[in-house]
Amino acid sequence: MIGQLRPTAPALALLPALALLPVLLVVLSGAHGGGAEILGAFLVGALRPSLDPALLKALLIALQVTVATALTGWGCSLVLGVLLGCLSSERLWVTWGFPQWPAIVLRRLLALPRSVHELIWGLLLLQVLGLHPWVAVAAISIPYASLVARVWRDQLQSLDPSRLQAVLQAGASPMAACITALSPAMGSVLVSYGGYRLECALRSATLLGVFGLGGLGMDLELSLKSLQFRELWTGLWLLMLVTIALEQGLRWWRSWAGQAQFGQRQVLVFVLGVLLSVALGAVWLDQLFPEAGALNWLPVDWPDLNSLQLAAQELPWLSMLWETLALTLLAAGIAIGLPPLMLLLTPARFWHRCVSGLWVLVRVIPPPLAVLLLLLSNQPTLAIGALALGLHNSGVMGRLLQEGLELQDDSAQVALVSGGASPQVSWLYGLLSPRSPSHLAYGAYRSDVILRETVVVGLIGGSGLGWQLLESLSSFHWAAVVLLISTYAVLTLLGEWLSDRFRQHWLQS
Amino acid sequence: MTALLELEQVRVTGPHGDRLSALTLRLQNGERIALLGRSGAGKSSLIGVLNGSLPPVDGRVLFQGVALAELSRRQRARIGTLWQDLRLIEELSIGQNVNAGALGRRRLPWALANLLFRVSAESSRSCLRLAGLEESLLDDAGLDRPVGQLSGGQRQRVALARLFRQQPDLMLADEPLASLDPAIAAEVLERLLTSDEDGRLRSGAQAVVVSLHRPELIDRFDRVIGLRAGRLVIDAPAEAVSDADLRDLYAP
Repeated sequence: MIGQLRPTAPALALLPALALLPVLLVVLSGAHGGGAEILGAFLVGALRPSLDPALLKALLIALQVTVATALTGWGCSLVLGVLLGCLSSERLWVTWGFPQWPAIVLRRLLALPRSVHELIWGLLLLQVLGLHPWVAVAAISIPYASLVARVWRDQLQSLDPSRLQAVLQAGASPMAACITALSPAMGSVLVSYGGYRLECALRSATLLGVFGLGGLGMDLELSLKSLQFRELWTGLWLLMLVTIALEQGLRWWRSWAGQAQFGQRQVLVFVLGVLLSVALGAVWLDQLFPEAGALNWLPVDWPDLNSLQLAAQELPWLSMLWETLALTLLAAGIAIGLPPLMLLLTPARFWHRCVSGLWVLVRVIPPPLAVLLLLLSNQPTLAIGALALGLHNSGVMGRLLQEGLELQDDSAQVALVSGGASPQVSWLYGLLSPRSPSHLAYGAYRSDVILRETVVVGLIGGSGLGWQLLESLSSFHWAAVVLLISTYAVLTLLGEWLSDRFRQHWLQS
Repeated sequence: MTALLELEQVRVTGPHGDRLSALTLRLQNGERIALLGRSGAGKSSLIGVLNGSLPPVDGRVLFQGVALAELSRRQRARIGTLWQDLRLIEELSIGQNVNAGALGRRRLPWALANLLFRVSAESSRSCLRLAGLEESLLDDAGLDRPVGQLSGGQRQRVALARLFRQQPDLMLADEPLASLDPAIAAEVLERLLTSDEDGRLRSGAQAVVVSLHRPELIDRFDRVIGLRAGRLVIDAPAEAVSDADLRDLYAP
């Protein structure tokens, strides 16, 4: 009855969940006796968060730091990103009558800041600029701006050139022609992608806090390390409230902007909002850190060729690369496969709401905190890092999948139910199947993000390039730092290239 | 004798009033029924009531003596529908779409296997052959082709094969000929209604209800049901329906 293997999109959306098997096997076999007690205390803390006024006051100030950092970093990255995106678009250079090579050179140069995770930027800038609120802002702005630039440039290049040519031939100036022909389409890109980046910026600002760059992340880490779970949950609930408010706000904004008759006006409001957020965030940070002062460049002993060669011989390349790739594959498998698997368990509406709540929780907890939490009851292994990273990204993928499923036409599901198929099977065939190519396309993009993020759990979990990088940074071994960051850059650029191919494949299928 | 399907005083409402009003019908085994009426007369609503996807607000519907809402999954699978918009799953192959017809009799592991492997290829092939899909698409490579690559006529045949794969006792077809050219439409109708020498439908079904937009095809049926503004205005043997009856039915 069963013939050759012919996996289709819905099967490929579920199969990656198999990564959970080895990961859970290692995690469960490594759990020690006291683990259950600690986990119990953690779960009880969720129901009884601390309401100590002093703690609440401190957490609210920390939350303000995180939000102000996210807002400023996001605003700066959008302004810079759009500018750099325009400058790296060959089409715009040609429209102004210039050769296109400067755009190509700039596009290639922008690959480097993009390939380095914001956490690495944060730790590097911390070493050379010292502790300052704008270090976290810069750490977010640098990679985000080049990410925005890439998306902006790709969108500009993919637009139909005939409209632009028609307006130019009618005698319009290049600026007027671009505004007339390109801005309607680019406005919607700015609104939808820009909104998404604000959610990312909030996650990044929290994460940077975990590594000492200020804000709520730092308080969460301290509470967790001192096993003050009730305090930890006070912070987590606060963060969840802000995250949900932001996501709902952005969802409302997207639907409003999508329905609005005068789209250009909505785009203008958005642009003003971005500029305002930069100004507001900067003033807010200034209020929160009145004694921060100006940024100072601390001297760094840049490595010479000889020390680079020595460092290259010292580093355990094979194990580092293997661990990083294994971490990426396992975490990506969990992130892609777990969301549809959880929804497949039962199509009951109540269960899907519970799962939706779970996604909020796992995407709010920064992966290094999840690693620390798991380490309270387990030994440090690569599986711990993969589980933490996979769960965190499941939260992001799960939310998008559920949002997509809500918009999915259910006529095929209705047909299957009327033909006697079970609720599970009709959900699998009628709803997940049509949605799975876009889930896989986003999964390809997310795998690329996960490869970048391995540094985050590597730093804590003691595995891969991330752990080695932290060791090198804390011992000011700049030669090793340069080599490790370069390796990360090459790996993430390769990953980006691969994920682009997969994404195109699934979007066109 | 228990009717195959029975409707008693069925009423269905929509945003603009009643879509079906006080409809009472009995469908018997062996009947080939043509469902006629102008656009908006309630043909698709009646098909929806018969297959359970559109529950009535009043009245009751019994399938082989059991209320439709109380049917088990396996019993529900005995009513099959060829949908007007076909409702094929574009992301799946021809073979997997045909096998989707068997999901009412199968459990989750089989459904998952159908997404992973080439399952029950022979059963799919025989249903596709009965539906008239060309032989060039019946080899292994053909069965693996995504339905998104097929022409309108080929898609119609895949949907028909899925209906045959379901092995229903009652086959419902909602405007199956609407978007087909006359030659293909005639063949599709032939395949829906083809019976053996003893009068049994070759698909194995005990009765078939086909909603039509072309009344000239009613001589292929045993019985005609005509709807006008959600009410039953014709229920008679096909040979007893006159041209005047049809003119009245389609009059503005």
